[in-house]
Amino acid sequence: MAKVTLTVNGVKHTRKVEDRALLVNVLREDLGLTGTHIGCDTSQCGCCTVTLDGRAVKSCSVLAVQANGSKVTTIEGLAKNGKLHPVQRAFAECHGLQCGFCTPGMIMATVGMLKDNPNPTEDEIIHGLEGNLCRCTGYINIIKAVKKSAKLMRGRAR
Amino acid sequence: MAHTAHHHFPAPKMRLEDTRLITGSGKYAADWDLKGQLHGYFLRADRAHAEIVAIDAGAALKHPGVVAIFTGEDAVRAGYVNAPHALNFPGKNGMKTRAPKRPALAHGRIRFVGEAVALVVAESVHAAQDAAELLQVQYRDLPAVVSPEAALAPGAPQLHDDVPGNMPLETEVGNAAAVEQAIAGAAHVTRLKMEVTRVAPSPMEPRACTVVHDANADSYTLHVCSQGYTTLRAQLSAYTGVPRDKLNFEVRDVGGGFGQRTLAYPEYCALMIAARATARPVRWVSTRSEGFMTDSHGRANIISGELALDKAGKILAMRLDWVNDMGSYLGPGAMGHIRNTSSCMTGVYRIPALYANYRVALTNTTPVAAYRGAGRPDISYVVERLVSQAAAELKVDAAELRRRNFIPTDAFPYTTATGSVYENADLPGLLDQALKLADWKGFAGRRKKSEKAGKLRGIGISTVIENTGAGNAPKDDIQIDLDARGEVTVHTVSKAQGHSHETTFAAIVAAALQIPIERVHVRQCMPDMQHVLTGNHTGGSRSTVGAGSVCHLAALKVIEQGKPLAALELGVEPSQVEYAKGAFRTRESRRAVKLADLAKGKTFTVAAEGKFGSTQPNGCHIVEVEVDPDTGATDIVSYCAVDDCGVVINHAVVAGQLHGGVVQGVGQVLGEQVVYDRASGQMLTASFMDYCMPRAGIVRGIRGEEHPTPSKVSPLGVKGMGESGCTASLPAATNAVIDALRPLGIDRLDMPLTPATVWHAIQSAKEKAQ
Amino acid sequence: MYQFNYVKAKSLKEAGRLLASHGEAKLVAGGMTLIPTLKMRLARPSHLVDITQLAELQGIKLKAGRLEVGAATRHHQVAASAVVRKAIPALAQLASVIGDPQVRNRGTLGGSVANNDPAADYPAAVLGLGATIVTTQREIAADDFFQGMFATALKDGEIIVRVVFPVAKRAAYAKFAHPASGYAMTAVFVAQTGDGVRVAVTGAGPGVFRWKKAEAALAKSPKAAALDGVALDSSGFNSDIHADAAYRANLVRVMAKRAVAKLGRK
Repeated sequence: MAKVTLTVNGVKHTRKVEDRALLVNVLREDLGLTGTHIGCDTSQCGCCTVTLDGRAVKSCSVLAVQANGSKVTTIEGLAKNGKLHPVQRAFAECHGLQCGFCTPGMIMATVGMLKDNPNPTEDEIIHGLEGNLCRCTGYINIIKAVKKSAKLMRGRAR
Repeated sequence: MAHTAHHHFPAPKMRLEDTRLITGSGKYAADWDLKGQLHGYFLRADRAHAEIVAIDAGAALKHPGVVAIFTGEDAVRAGYVNAPHALNFPGKNGMKTRAPKRPALAHGRIRFVGEAVALVVAESVHAAQDAAELLQVQYRDLPAVVSPEAALAPGAPQLHDDVPGNMPLETEVGNAAAVEQAIAGAAHVTRLKMEVTRVAPSPMEPRACTVVHDANADSYTLHVCSQGYTTLRAQLSAYTGVPRDKLNFEVRDVGGGFGQRTLAYPEYCALMIAARATARPVRWVSTRSEGFMTDSHGRANIISGELALDKAGKILAMRLDWVNDMGSYLGPGAMGHIRNTSSCMTGVYRIPALYANYRVALTNTTPVAAYRGAGRPDISYVVERLVSQAAAELKVDAAELRRRNFIPTDAFPYTTATGSVYENADLPGLLDQALKLADWKGFAGRRKKSEKAGKLRGIGISTVIENTGAGNAPKDDIQIDLDARGEVTVHTVSKAQGHSHETTFAAIVAAALQIPIERVHVRQCMPDMQHVLTGNHTGGSRSTVGAGSVCHLAALKVIEQGKPLAALELGVEPSQVEYAKGAFRTRESRRAVKLADLAKGKTFTVAAEGKFGSTQPNGCHIVEVEVDPDTGATDIVSYCAVDDCGVVINHAVVAGQLHGGVVQGVGQVLGEQVVYDRASGQMLTASFMDYCMPRAGIVRGIRGEEHPTPSKVSPLGVKGMGESGCTASLPAATNAVIDALRPLGIDRLDMPLTPATVWHAIQSAKEKAQ
Repeated sequence: MYQFNYVKAKSLKEAGRLLASHGEAKLVAGGMTLIPTLKMRLARPSHLVDITQLAELQGIKLKAGRLEVGAATRHHQVAASAVVRKAIPALAQLASVIGDPQVRNRGTLGGSVANNDPAADYPAAVLGLGATIVTTQREIAADDFFQGMFATALKDGEIIVRVVFPVAKRAAYAKFAHPASGYAMTAVFVAQTGDGVRVAVTGAGPGVFRWKKAEAALAKSPKAAALDGVALDSSGFNSDIHADAAYRANLVRVMAKRAVAKLGRK
């Protein structure tokens, strides 16, 4: 067992967890943050994407102990004071989600992508979404949503 | 569109379900965390075909944290063996379907890799999995057969003692003699053998189920991902013998379904046994790898087709010989592979003579069930490939050959040679619109341009129609509850798995009641309604046609039943009361009775039901591809879709459904396939590392337009369209790749058209040409 | 996953000591291969020794015409590094197409090189550039380091500290990605160095290898067309459901030509 301290969505948590516990399991089971989903067991689908110290990672491929002392943002931590994050808004307004299962990961991956590249081209968006699978949308509206997210975040949108 | 012109369907800026789903507040099956729950882990067969000689659970039972272990013995003792199926077609020469039993846990024999052999229940998942590794299963290996054609051949390994020849059913449709005669006298016959490959539907949410047993009532509650409890309940009851009224469900958000989330899986039955025996909730969450091996697969049909035409290019007859691979057991989801492929056999064409023979095969593979379209994409693939192939052989433009054979607009309602009735369509208009949208005429110029860049360009077309919306339940039903605040709650069985019911159904009710959509709240599959509402689950593109139409009727009923109450309140005759925008008034008085007033004392409840027939959405999709001859890689460079979905309630939602369907079809054409090793029966594509899921950019954009001919089947004029995308894209995308390769002499290629497959075809063609 | 003990090493020395004292201990850095492997229960280490944050393994430096990259440098750091992009742009480009963004945010150079997956990207650059692998014990030339599928010259307890890349005159990487896994179905790294042309191939065979006949052909004529007709022995090539050996052999040539064409564009 290991003692792990994580700052998740701005709140500090300390938990005793098994050394083999994955970050995603601690988020979901110990902290009850079930917005982060598990869609595969080979690190392909990206449903479990969160940001770890500001960078998008697959929380199914990070041990909780490895994240000790880090800042984690999950989908639950994006909206502030009831106001949606621009990426959340863009996904909804572009109909970039259907069943919603991949959506938290898609949104967190987009947040990570736009941090590095606030004005991505379509090719860069497609490259930036390589770590996330969606079965419902055909990605067409997701690509639109990322474009709109970038626009909203640059503050140029209406 | 006259009868629906008065509807204005509100379209909110974002779907009503979105706020929950984009903030991480959804509740999916794996999100349940019940007090006192135990964790289940299934030990699964590591081989394709074997007798189970013995299972030694001694060491596993002693493992810390283990509470109980269940095997096939327990399943047989409980009587959980009657896996339901729906292959209720009259067989050829009086043959009756031979349905094998399937104990919820394998008993005596395993028949595919991944079949559940034992269920270990423990205090943690880790403990259950650790203990499962201590289970000693002694097998006696048997030869396996994974190809359906090989399974039907003489001398093949036999899966079930009571299914001789591995063939549970042979059936036929149409007029064999008429077709034979037409083919014999035809000026031209196009022949093509095709395979619609086995794929993994792969909704992003892995399966999960937590079962709670109530000892007092001897009833069960399953927290599960499902497309609607009615079908699941009926199938589970049939499987286990537990009466329907003892089965309850908690179904909240469902992360995709595509047909795969309809079924009563044996795992659920095994968890029921465990929950009852341990008197604690038992939870199981599938891994993706388990899912590849045990969630139902889709398609898996092999078809030999013959299309007979006269000199003028008129189609005279079509004959199809099907081999339907159903995997190791019959399930309730694969009947569409026969029903839908025969009811839509004629496609969009006036074909005087049709005949199809179906041989169902059992193989040492994962059971097959419905996958988005459930046979509709398969038959459209077969017909549309035959027609494009015939056009090439006859040197007629592929669009022109279609036009010559369309069912004329004035011939609707049209009864097909296999006895289906098509309600309406405007096929020539649809085609014209699509040809214009895709600039069909400009293709030659674009091909030249690609050629200069070293690429092979191809254009593919499909014109398709499908039967949707009918449903299996005797009716669809809706309950509307109106409360004293004027909030309207709409209850339905139909369960969205991404379909946007909360928005679409709310729009229908809001339009009928003329109130803001924000006041309408759609509740699907709520526990307290499960023995009240008994309509259809979501599947077969039926939700808006069925439940959606009843939403409309129920809302009208609110007005109708409200009028006399309002009249009392207003002190007038009911005939003097008019309704508009959420309030009842009389022409004379200024007083109004609001909807909310009807519920002042107690909730105002209205129930409505309806039964609607089949609708026939249709569409024309035109795809252009560029093939890189050096690598064999295919790029979709243009995708145009013109669809007739009847009246559209929410254009964004409908476009989204089409996008998803199109890309699932394109994914199958370009890469997806479940592959088994022929010798060992091992699955070679049991993870996203090997199974080629489409990724962002596979289709960059779809230029879509609507070409509605409203249906009269539904009072809304809608047609079921959830499956249209893949029904049209499967043939259109394939035809495009074949068109790119045809100048090299390649026209017999089958999906998946992976880079390696295409490159090899090009090499062979080059060698032949030398 | 089986049980294991996680230890965050405070120094390379401590990490070495832990490896020496626990026979079944394994190093973990980004964990992008190891953690999925553990999840599938395909490995059963007693200890995981985390070296990701060790100061000795960090940093990107250009020194005397050689680019030194610390073993714990993550792929995204290499891809985004101004130093790398200036010195060996092909290396930054290669790093930018490894796996996916989330993998690049975790995975490390040292982890990838030590694992030597036959379809990994980095080994192609390390071999193609003729880099030197500096370990806790010695310096190993790339030509001696990679020894076939998942096999390297690393001894038990030996830890990669950094990789030193000679700055090439020109270099380019062309990858044909596996459509499902994102690994290289086949990819080729071509470098024009002071000593001549080097061509390294990953994904095609049981491990990264140099296509020496192509190097000879390119030394004579550094043009894509020079590779037409150059012999390629594909006898040991990988064959699987996605691509057989013949197709991979074709990809070797096509990707090599594309890499050479990219060279010309710089």
